[in-house]
Amino acid sequence: MSASAALEISTRHGWLVGFGNMVAKEYASWWRTRRAVVHLLLWLFVINAFILLIGLDEGPAGGRNSPLELLEELIEIFIRVGGLFATIGIVVATQSTVVSERQLGTAEWVLSKPVSRPAFLLSKFVVNGASFIWLAVAVPATVFYLQTLLHAYVQPALLPFLAGMLLHIQHLLFYLAFTLMLGTFFHGRGAVSGIAIGFLFGGLILPSFFPWMTGWLPWALPSLAAMAAQQQPLPAGSVIAIIISLLWTLLCILVALWRFEREEF
Amino acid sequence: MLDDLVIRTEQLSKTFNGVAALKPLDLEVRRNSIFGFLGPNGAGKTTTIKLILGLVRPTSGSASVFGHDIVGDTIDVRRRIGYLPQEPHYYEYMTARETLRFTARFFYTGPAAAIEARVNEILELVGLADRADRPIKGFSAGERQRLGIGQAQVNTPDLLILDEPAASLDPMGRRDVLEIMDKLRERSTVFYSTHILDDVQRVSDTVAILNRGELVAQAPIDELLAGSGGTVYAIEVKGDASQARARISGEPWVRDIHIVPDSDRAEWQVSVTDAEAAEAHLLRLVLADEHITVTRFGRKRYNLEEVFLELIEGDDRVR
Repeated sequence: MSASAALEISTRHGWLVGFGNMVAKEYASWWRTRRAVVHLLLWLFVINAFILLIGLDEGPAGGRNSPLELLEELIEIFIRVGGLFATIGIVVATQSTVVSERQLGTAEWVLSKPVSRPAFLLSKFVVNGASFIWLAVAVPATVFYLQTLLHAYVQPALLPFLAGMLLHIQHLLFYLAFTLMLGTFFHGRGAVSGIAIGFLFGGLILPSFFPWMTGWLPWALPSLAAMAAQQQPLPAGSVIAIIISLLWTLLCILVALWRFEREEF
Repeated sequence: MLDDLVIRTEQLSKTFNGVAALKPLDLEVRRNSIFGFLGPNGAGKTTTIKLILGLVRPTSGSASVFGHDIVGDTIDVRRRIGYLPQEPHYYEYMTARETLRFTARFFYTGPAAAIEARVNEILELVGLADRADRPIKGFSAGERQRLGIGQAQVNTPDLLILDEPAASLDPMGRRDVLEIMDKLRERSTVFYSTHILDDVQRVSDTVAILNRGELVAQAPIDELLAGSGGTVYAIEVKGDASQARARISGEPWVRDIHIVPDSDRAEWQVSVTDAEAAEAHLLRLVLADEHITVTRFGRKRYNLEEVFLELIEGDDRVR
């Protein structure tokens, strides 16, 4: 019996046809190449080694802070500084996800097969998001959770810390969706990363002059994440800011899908 | 008759930024044909292929593949097509086996063992079995093209679309591609664009010629090679042929005699209105003259290059 005789021909239809195969391909691009190991080492070095230096400098040996004060400071640094690096990282890591596939012609080749454009794009969001969060948030956060014992002799309360991590992840996912969306509009990596990182730094500078912007854009998430992880009460309006941020992420994905559906190869 | 059509376009056109890349095109490709799609660079060949595959959207008109609309049923269209792009690009970190497996999984849901068997079958077919587990980034142009042909066949397509399949290949690679196309004729339809006219003449049964986004000819290759001036016989003669010429000119089925002199001989190109009468009497009438020798006689066959250049240059003169 020939191989073809036993093959089951796909008859699937719908807007996500080919999604599973695309996810497997994207997954392999992270986890069956050196990419995952490089990211893991990079983020352990950038985030946890940085925390280690701060902890050794400011820890009990330094004696300038009480353990709880030091813990709060470490959480603040982990989320705000480590988060800033991770956000730049997710933009840089995914800036060419759409752009290079279009430039190299792999998108044209893949899309000549029975796969929908939403499946092509969403697989990138799902796998890049999950892989990056695992490597640049989950592993460093676990190491950090253990590190705090070394430096401050106390650990953050688990549930508030996890809540803080969720907000941190939400922040990263917004920038992933934003970067993918920009990739569907622009043909150069420079424009994609420039706008995304510019927007990130805008979030650090502009609220000083226009405080109302924080509530309407996803710029409040890092500070809310730090406050949640430090068990501090969240300010009024935080829930609305979180929901608005989620909506921005969703909007970026929808705009990216709309734009990509109109792309010509 | 319509059931026999694999591709049918009706006034299909595409404009990019106000420039017409493809003017309203009516094309019909029949089942099990090898359809050569010719034209100079920028004629609109690749645009037409991309329209069929749903990679670009038509500005106007419509097209169907196996009766499926190229816009509304693009997944159904692509499910039955194998496509080799002009410059195929794959994921460089993948091996040939992974690339074929990735491609196969768009078409087949399983079982995994059968998919693997199909992948192995294709690797053998295109001669990449011994390099199956090497990353593509180390592949030569020829190996990439073989992989391209392999991935285009993984779904046993009913329609194989090849965009300049032999452009970057050496003569042996070209021969391999032509052999594969010829083998596929029995179960598939092959639609391919090319600049290499020799290849078209060797394997195609139907040809369409595009120039500046416009269809200038579409016909079975025999019809195209017979020329546009009706039936023409070529007779090569030596010696004084004036009497024979006068005798032939008097025949009612002879339309015109064009003489091309060549040192001690001449080629007569005799246009006739009745091929059967010409077949029966022409040679006999010439040979009746004892002063001349006929060194060659036969129906005039143009080569594709002559036809192509005549059509393209004629079209350019008209513009």
